[in-house]
Amino acid sequence: MSAKLSIASEEWRLWLRSKVAVLALATVGLIIAGTSLLTATRMAEERHERLHQQEAAEATFLAQPDRHPHRMVHYGHYVFRAPPPLAVIDPGVDAVTGQSIFLEGHRQNTAMFADARASVNVGSFDGLTPALVYQLLVPLLLIALGHGVFVREREAGTLAPLLAQGISGRTLYAGKTLALAGLSGALLIPLVVLVGVATSLGEAASMGLAVAAGYGAYLLIWCALIVLVSAVAKTRGLALGVLVLIWLAWALVVPRIAVATASAAVPAPGKLETDLLMSADLRELGDGHNAADPAFAQLRANLLAQYNVETVEELPVNFRGMVAQTSEARLTAVMNDYADQRMAIETAQSARLAGFGWLSPMLAMSSASRVLSGTDLTTHHRFLREAEDVRYDFVQGLNDRHINALSYADDINRNQNAEASRRARISSDNWAVLNSFQFAPAPVRDRWTQALSPFAMLGLWLAGLVIAGLTATARLRL
Amino acid sequence: MSGPWRELWFLWRDRAALLWIVIAFVAASLAVGFGLGEVADQRATIDRLKTADQIERAVALEDHRDWGSAAYYTFHLTYDPPSDFAFAALGQRDASPWKHRIRMLALEGQIYETDAANPDFALIGRFDFAFVIAILSPLLLILLLHDLRAGERASGRFELLSATSASGVGVWMSRAAWRVGALGLALLAPVWIGSLVSGAGMGSLTLATLAVMLHLVFWWAVIAAVNARGWTAPVNLTALIGAWLALAIFLPATLKASVDAAVPVPDGGDIILTQREAVNDAWDLPVAATMDPFLERHPEWAGHTDMESTFEWKWYYAFQQVGDQTAEPLSQAYRGGRERREQLAALLTWLSPPAKVERVFQSIASTDAQASARYEAHVRAFHADLRAYYYPGLFLEPPFTDQAVTSRPDYAAMGG
Repeated sequence: MSAKLSIASEEWRLWLRSKVAVLALATVGLIIAGTSLLTATRMAEERHERLHQQEAAEATFLAQPDRHPHRMVHYGHYVFRAPPPLAVIDPGVDAVTGQSIFLEGHRQNTAMFADARASVNVGSFDGLTPALVYQLLVPLLLIALGHGVFVREREAGTLAPLLAQGISGRTLYAGKTLALAGLSGALLIPLVVLVGVATSLGEAASMGLAVAAGYGAYLLIWCALIVLVSAVAKTRGLALGVLVLIWLAWALVVPRIAVATASAAVPAPGKLETDLLMSADLRELGDGHNAADPAFAQLRANLLAQYNVETVEELPVNFRGMVAQTSEARLTAVMNDYADQRMAIETAQSARLAGFGWLSPMLAMSSASRVLSGTDLTTHHRFLREAEDVRYDFVQGLNDRHINALSYADDINRNQNAEASRRARISSDNWAVLNSFQFAPAPVRDRWTQALSPFAMLGLWLAGLVIAGLTATARLRL
Repeated sequence: MSGPWRELWFLWRDRAALLWIVIAFVAASLAVGFGLGEVADQRATIDRLKTADQIERAVALEDHRDWGSAAYYTFHLTYDPPSDFAFAALGQRDASPWKHRIRMLALEGQIYETDAANPDFALIGRFDFAFVIAILSPLLLILLLHDLRAGERASGRFELLSATSASGVGVWMSRAAWRVGALGLALLAPVWIGSLVSGAGMGSLTLATLAVMLHLVFWWAVIAAVNARGWTAPVNLTALIGAWLALAIFLPATLKASVDAAVPVPDGGDIILTQREAVNDAWDLPVAATMDPFLERHPEWAGHTDMESTFEWKWYYAFQQVGDQTAEPLSQAYRGGRERREQLAALLTWLSPPAKVERVFQSIASTDAQASARYEAHVRAFHADLRAYYYPGLFLEPPFTDQAVTSRPDYAAMGG
């Protein structure tokens, strides 16, 4: 052990003595600290703001005056998704999806106003988050500092004497890896602080630990790769060139080619196209505003039979409300079908994309990071589904009030004059049908299950690289 | 073999250099291929939508034979077809909408609707030619040139090579020039072929070629400055990658954050909220509360605002328009803010050539924020035409005939 430790501390001493290394380390340290601070502040602000907006939206809805119940169906409501605590590390898809949805009758709106829209366009990389810094920049620093661990000794001719002293290749490998792993550990300190922040905001400690462990494993993959390349390369220049090339492939090329491949393999019709398809389906369901629409003839006949009356005017319930409620239910079934299809397509696309994690650990890490942080596509889909539940419940709640709290006679005469219009209103007490909404990250168990596959990728990458490293350095003895 | 040709021979024999150049060629070809595919997809989507939209509108019109419900139930497809050079830089087309279905309701509630793709994809970004040029090409050039002198110095040939050339630096210039030229060719050949396929004009192609070469020359100068320090190859490479990180990643991120902070823009959601509140409140307000602000914009309907029932379509569409009017200050501040952000970014990105070259490509390809703003303005103008067409019908109530439908505005794409 002490031999390994002394090999490692020799590397640390060298780095601390090199001005370039110290400068690089300090710069990256500063970037990590700055990015962490900015992201944590921004997320805290957004979280606070959206929780407040949610409360305000609910209060506004409840404060609406007496109205015709269907007017409230169109007045609608908003739900907001507050960023989860671990968004301080990885804001994930938040920036590109939009975090609020307007809920109204007869329609499923998309989440609106992604931040990406209003922001200025400055090229391919325009937002640094702690996640991105650890995924992209920290490996580059490890490469810059670590590419010479073995090859430096080889070039200086000190490798043979070391081996002659009886230090085995394996010990050297362990020592050099320990040196880089120690450096990675030091670089992970800010991340651990962020995990602490997230935990204090209410995140489960196990998830925080998993994120930290994930990034730790990811950086270890880089350490193992660097030591391996350094052990087999003939010159420092070659080692550095190869490592930079691998970085370029893993970080910049494979993920984007994966996107192109996945979107070609699983084509997704856009929303406009789906809406056009859907509107043909919806037409057959009839217009819920028009109680005379032939689509509701069966409903009318059933109701008349059930209450044993001749005309809808004699029904004890408001027929227009019944039509609205029935039509909303049918409409929602169709809309949910289309929404499920769309989410299934997106999930299939993302699964294709995630498969490229076998080619790029960076892709595997970014996917694990979003899943564990609760900022991934599945979370967005869950938000859409929960928002739809809120929408359906308050719309049908209002339709129920329409059926039972407003008479048919008052309802059909509502446009005759101002007095008739006043009679066709119901008390604002009825607006309490709205449920309050708060979006929470998925349960810990679900996130574990989902993170299993990217973690398996990371584990296999690490194991493979360590085995390759041990094999390569074992031969050094010869 | 004279000097320059000897250098070409050396380049041919240098396996590592050839590798970087082949990688550049493959990356550029892939990017152009993906881009052409995406543009073809977008064109096909527009064609399908145009057909479906016409059918849908005809069907809606059959069922709704009065001015008010025809206006309510008929949608109009608006779209912005990709330019012939869009394959090289898809740009803002991924973030901003380029197709809508618009109707006579308040426009502010419709125009921000985005047909977003898979968020996982948006997060990673596209592998288009602009990305290859802005982000990958400097790295490849760095890998190609960083050990030009240091490599020879390490193998002890530096003094000899410098001495055999008349000027001393000439040999390095010529060796580097061959490499820059070869890399440029490997990057540009695919985009030239792509332009031939898509029919992009010579003007776009010349500008793009110029932008690529200027970008490469800039990085060549940076590399030469570092190489001249006489460090070893690994130190050169480390320093150059640091410079690349600073210019291609860190600086743009900082610029974006500072521009966004320096020019506040109203929350887009507030525009929709304001518009929606105005429209919803109007139902409960006296008719005059709608008609008075409406008449400020349209005094020509002054004698026609009386209502015989508590609901009439003209009142409904008047408060839709008033909803837009109420949200107008916010909406203008939003557009103005984005425009000022763009102007500031156009200026500041001179500090970051990779960001600049990407913006230049988007501007050539008409996929930048300005192009997206032009499309938005075009949609606004079309919506204004729709209002101009329907208002006489709503306020004067002439019979709604097939004849009347023929003069209804049809959307025509910009420049089309």
